[in-house]
Amino acid sequence: MLQGFILGIASGTACLAYCAPVLVPVLLGEGKNIQRNYVILGQYLGGRLCGYLLFALLAWAVRFPLSGLQDRELVFGVVYVVLALFLVYYGLFNHRALCAGQIIEQRPIKRFSNRLPPMPLVFGFLSGVTLCPPFLLAFTEAADKVAVWQSLLVFFTFFLGTSLYFLPIPLVGAFNRFDALQKVGKLAAVVVAVYYLYAGLIKIAGGVIVS
Amino acid sequence: MSVFSPRPEMPAPSTARGIVRAVLLTLPMLLLIAMMMTQGELPKDSLTRAVTAITYALLGAVFFLMVYKKETYKYRAALFTIVAVCFSIAFIANLVEMRGSMAVSRADMLAGETPFCHLVIPMVIIPAAFTRTIIFPGSLLEGFANIASMLILWLGASLALGRGWCSWVCFFGGFDEGFSRLRKKALIKKIAPVWTYLPWAVLLTLALISALTLSPFYCEWLCPFKAVTEFEQITSFKILLQTIIFASLFILLVVILPLLTRRRTQCGLFCPFAAFQSLANKINIFDLRIDTEKCKNCRLCVKDCPTFSLDENSVGRGKTLMSCTKCGKCVDICPQRAVTYHIKGTPVAVGSDTARILFLYPAFIFMSAIGGSMIVSALTRIFKLIATGSMIG
Ligand code: SF4
Ligand code: SF4
Repeated sequence: MLQGFILGIASGTACLAYCAPVLVPVLLGEGKNIQRNYVILGQYLGGRLCGYLLFALLAWAVRFPLSGLQDRELVFGVVYVVLALFLVYYGLFNHRALCAGQIIEQRPIKRFSNRLPPMPLVFGFLSGVTLCPPFLLAFTEAADKVAVWQSLLVFFTFFLGTSLYFLPIPLVGAFNRFDALQKVGKLAAVVVAVYYLYAGLIKIAGGVIVS
Repeated sequence: MSVFSPRPEMPAPSTARGIVRAVLLTLPMLLLIAMMMTQGELPKDSLTRAVTAITYALLGAVFFLMVYKKETYKYRAALFTIVAVCFSIAFIANLVEMRGSMAVSRADMLAGETPFCHLVIPMVIIPAAFTRTIIFPGSLLEGFANIASMLILWLGASLALGRGWCSWVCFFGGFDEGFSRLRKKALIKKIAPVWTYLPWAVLLTLALISALTLSPFYCEWLCPFKAVTEFEQITSFKILLQTIIFASLFILLVVILPLLTRRRTQCGLFCPFAAFQSLANKINIFDLRIDTEKCKNCRLCVKDCPTFSLDENSVGRGKTLMSCTKCGKCVDICPQRAVTYHIKGTPVAVGSDTARILFLYPAFIFMSAIGGSMIVSALTRIFKLIATGSMIG
C-alpha cells in the first residue's frame, strides 16, 4: 500500500511537530545514551503503532465512528487530558527515573508505577490516538477500505512513512553526560502537560457545547 | 580571619586621587552618552532639552558613582529599575496616544503593528528555519521596535555582555529587580535548586510548541510583562483566559515572589529568554571569578545572588553558573572581597578594578542607549502630566 507510505512521508514533519513536545522531554528525562535512546524511541513508536492500528480497526469496523465533530472533540479532549496526567506523573512522580528534584513523597505512587508499562510506550500510544491533521487524512483513507487488512495496512505504511522523521531525535543522547538535561526534560514534561491539559479541557468544553 | 571580621578594603587611592581617577574614567562615558542622546544636535523644544539634561546628569552620576565607590550593584539596580518603570510609562503613553488604549486589536496585529521584543527570539528560530517566516505579528524593517533593529541590538549586546543583557539591557528586568529590593529581609529563604532548571524547561517546551502551533506561544499565553505594556483586546473566552494568566504571572513572579525571596524570580526561575541568553555567556569574554583561597565559604553570595547563579559547587570551582547576569552583587557583598569581574584568558586578579571597569564601559553604553531614550520619553510625559493634566497629546 504505497498511498499510506507516501502520505506518511508527505506529512512526516507535521507528525514530528505534534510528537516532539512529548518525545523530546521524555528522551531528555531518561538521560540515556544514543543507543538506549533508540530503544526508547522504539517503545514510543511501538505505542504509537498500537494507537494507529486501534484506529485502523475502528475505522474499518464502524465506518468512521467519530462521525460528528462534537464526538471527535470530546474523545480527543479526553485523550489530551489523560496524556497531560501521565506527563505530570512522569515529570514529578515516576520513580524509575530521577524525577524533578524528588519534589513529592513517592511511596504510594511507587506501587502504581510498578504496574504501568514503560512510559515511552504509554506516551506513544496516547500520541498515536491523538487527532492531528495528517492522522485524520490517514483515517479517512483507511475508512474507505473494504477489508480489515487493507485498513490496517494503510495505517501501518503511514506509520512507517512518518517514523523516518523520528530517527534523528535519539541523537540528543549525545548530551546525556549533562545531568542537568535530565532535570530539564522532567520539568519540561510537566510544562508540556499544562499545555495539553488546557488544550484537552478546551476540546472537551467545545465538544460539550456543540453537542 | 573570621568571616565576621571587617571586609578587607579595596586598595583605594586617596579621596582626591580617587575623585580624579573617577572623573577621568567618567569623561569618555559622558562624551559617548552625549553623542547617543543628542545625535549631534540639541533638542529644539525646551521641555525635551530639560529632560535630556536631567537624564544625562542622572546617567553620568550613576557611572561616576560606580567608578568612584568601586561598587556596581546598588547603583546599577536603581538605574535598571528606573529604566523599567520609565519604559512602561513611555510605552503605555505612546500606545494610548496611537491606539487609544493598552489593548492591541486583531486588526493592529494583522497590520504588523505589534512591537517586537527580545523575549520572542528563542521561539522564532525553529519555525524560521523550517518555514522561512518570522512567526510574530510585527514589521521586519518598519516602525518603532521593528524585528530587524531588535535583532541587531540583541546580537550586539549578547556579544558584548553575554547574559549581562538581563541586568544591563532588558527593559523588563528592572521590575522584579525593583520589587526584590523593597524588603530588607527575605521571608522565603530556601528555594529547591531544581526550580533553577525551570527556565530551560519552559524554553524547551516553548520552542517545541511554537514550532507545532507556528505562533509565539510565550507572547500569547505566558508573558507577565503584558501587564505593563500591551495586551490583546478581550474579545473571546480564550483571550480572557490569556489575560488572567499573564496578570497572575506578573503578580506572582514579578511582585509577590521577589518581595518574599529578595530574588529576581521571574528572571531566575521562569523567563525562557534568560535560559537562552545564558548560552551567550559562553561566547562573551567577561565572567566572574571567585578566589577560592580567599573565600571562607560563608555562602553569602550563594544566598544573595538575585538570579540563583551561584551554588556551593560553583563557589568551590571558583566560578559562577552559566546563568550569571554580571549584576555585580556578589562582588560587592563578599566579606572577603573574593569575587571579581574577570576577562577570560587572563589571570584572576582579585583586588584589581580593571576588569570591572572594562566591563562597565560596554554594559553602561548599552544601558544608556536603551534606557536613556526611555527616561527622556517618560520624563517628558510626566512633566506634561504635571503641566497639562494629561500625558497624551
Ligand atoms: S565568595 Fe561567597 S562564599 Fe566565599 S567568602 Fe565571598 S560571599 Fe562568602
Ligand atoms: S553570580 Fe554574582 S554577578 Fe552573577 S548574577 Fe549572581 S550576584 Fe550577580
